Amino acid sequence: MAEFVEADNAEAIITRIEHKSRKIESLLKQYKPVEALKTALEGAPPKTKDERCKSAYWIVVHRALMAIRDVDSLFLSLDPEYYDVLMKYLYKGLSTGDRPTCDQCLKIHEKLTERAGLGCILRTLADTVNTV
Amino acid sequence: MAALSVHQFAQCITCHAWSPDHSMVAFCPNNNEVHIYKLLEEKWEKIHVLQKHDQIVSGIDWSIRSNKIVTVSHDRNSYVWSKETTEWVPTLVILRLNRAALCVQWSPKENKFAVGSGAKTVCICYYEQENNWWVSKLIRKRHDSSVTSVAWHPNNIFLATTSTDGKCRVFSTFIKGVDTRDSTGSSSDSKFGEQIMQLDLSLSWAFGMKWSPSGNTLAYVGHNSMIYFVDDVGPSPSAQNVAFRDLPLRDVLFISERMLIGVGFDCNPMIFIADEIGLWSFLRFLDERKTASASAKYGSQFSETFGKFYGQSKYGTSNDTLESSRTRGGAHENCITSIVSLKKVGDASATSFSTSGLDGKIVIWDLQKQQDLEEFL
Repeated sequence: MAEFVEADNAEAIITRIEHKSRKIESLLKQYKPVEALKTALEGAPPKTKDERCKSAYWIVVHRALMAIRDVDSLFLSLDPEYYDVLMKYLYKGLSTGDRPTCDQCLKIHEKLTERAGLGCILRTLADTVNTV
Repeated sequence: MAALSVHQFAQCITCHAWSPDHSMVAFCPNNNEVHIYKLLEEKWEKIHVLQKHDQIVSGIDWSIRSNKIVTVSHDRNSYVWSKETTEWVPTLVILRLNRAALCVQWSPKENKFAVGSGAKTVCICYYEQENNWWVSKLIRKRHDSSVTSVAWHPNNIFLATTSTDGKCRVFSTFIKGVDTRDSTGSSSDSKFGEQIMQLDLSLSWAFGMKWSPSGNTLAYVGHNSMIYFVDDVGPSPSAQNVAFRDLPLRDVLFISERMLIGVGFDCNPMIFIADEIGLWSFLRFLDERKTASASAKYGSQFSETFGKFYGQSKYGTSNDTLESSRTRGGAHENCITSIVSLKKVGDASATSFSTSGLDGKIVIWDLQKQQDLEEFL
């Protein structure tokens, strides 16, 4: 029974992720990459253990992350409440080993560490429950 | 400056405690001994060495009224030391543990002490007059991992614990014949070992923890650079999570109901304050440094750490390390692991406290003459 609920839940989450993906695409078309990333980080990570949901969500965040050109203007409008979850996705990006992704993540990582401090990195590394 | 005096006692200090009049300090220099130093003519002199443990001493507490020292060690034993004429005489307390003892604390009335251990248990020890013997009563099967810290509520009954399972718990330690029912007030119905509250706020190891002077607020730290403040301890507690931008804390101390000092891996005590409506936030570092811009700070920290490694590979206290510490300018050069109040008997509040850490120093701090802190004292 529990498994069934989990699967059902996962389907609902996937639908929501698809909806969010469309919203992000339209924001990117309007040249609002910062808005797109904020939308992506809102409510992240999805509250599930389902790996399928997590990787689907990562694709959405990755899309928004790679569209960021001006990192300074990102931090002018990104609220501190998103710092911890953004850091988690940056480490996820670095773990892919993909060259352009790592370049982008390192660039943002530098600025984010300046702003949010080492405590933000510690919270990312220490959190084994709400993984991305 | 906030640091009144800095004294290098050893290479590394695991824990320390002060005599009732603060003229003597007992500490463990990271081995199986406890050294007691006394301030004689402006110089610290070693006057006693307590040798009985087989392994590292992990906790020391010195009772204020009865002038007894309790020590616990990784060798799974505890000793209560009493001063008889000129010598310290140990009494073995059999804790009945199968793992290391990690921390110890006398209860406010000094008729019990609590020991946290790596065996996922807490020992409550009390003295049995008829047998001339310290008895250890265990709180078992409540913790899922090592107990890293214990803290007594001022009512002498409630004991709070933190554990590496990330949880903070509060237990009743009522012992028949030792505690009296009428003295306990609201907690009078609870039995020994009954869990009053469990908080599951931290997702990683939880370390140091203390009650505020009134016992209304409980604060503990997580290894994820978070500090948690808990009000209304009981069936429906309310908690605040405060995330901060620096390295995690190891221990905390309430100065007043509205101010707390946290110490840890940043080697510099951090001041947390509560505003009028009781919201806690980080105010500033206590020691005078860290004024450089963030990027410069990380750069210098990195090269400094490298310098330390090179220095240490040659010799523990070479000139390199001394010089880098001077440029950094802080009182502590390594992680601070414990903070002890220097409150005197009868004082309403204590504005001074001492810290010790992995750098082997004991630093005495005073918060007076710090204008921005006056309203919180």
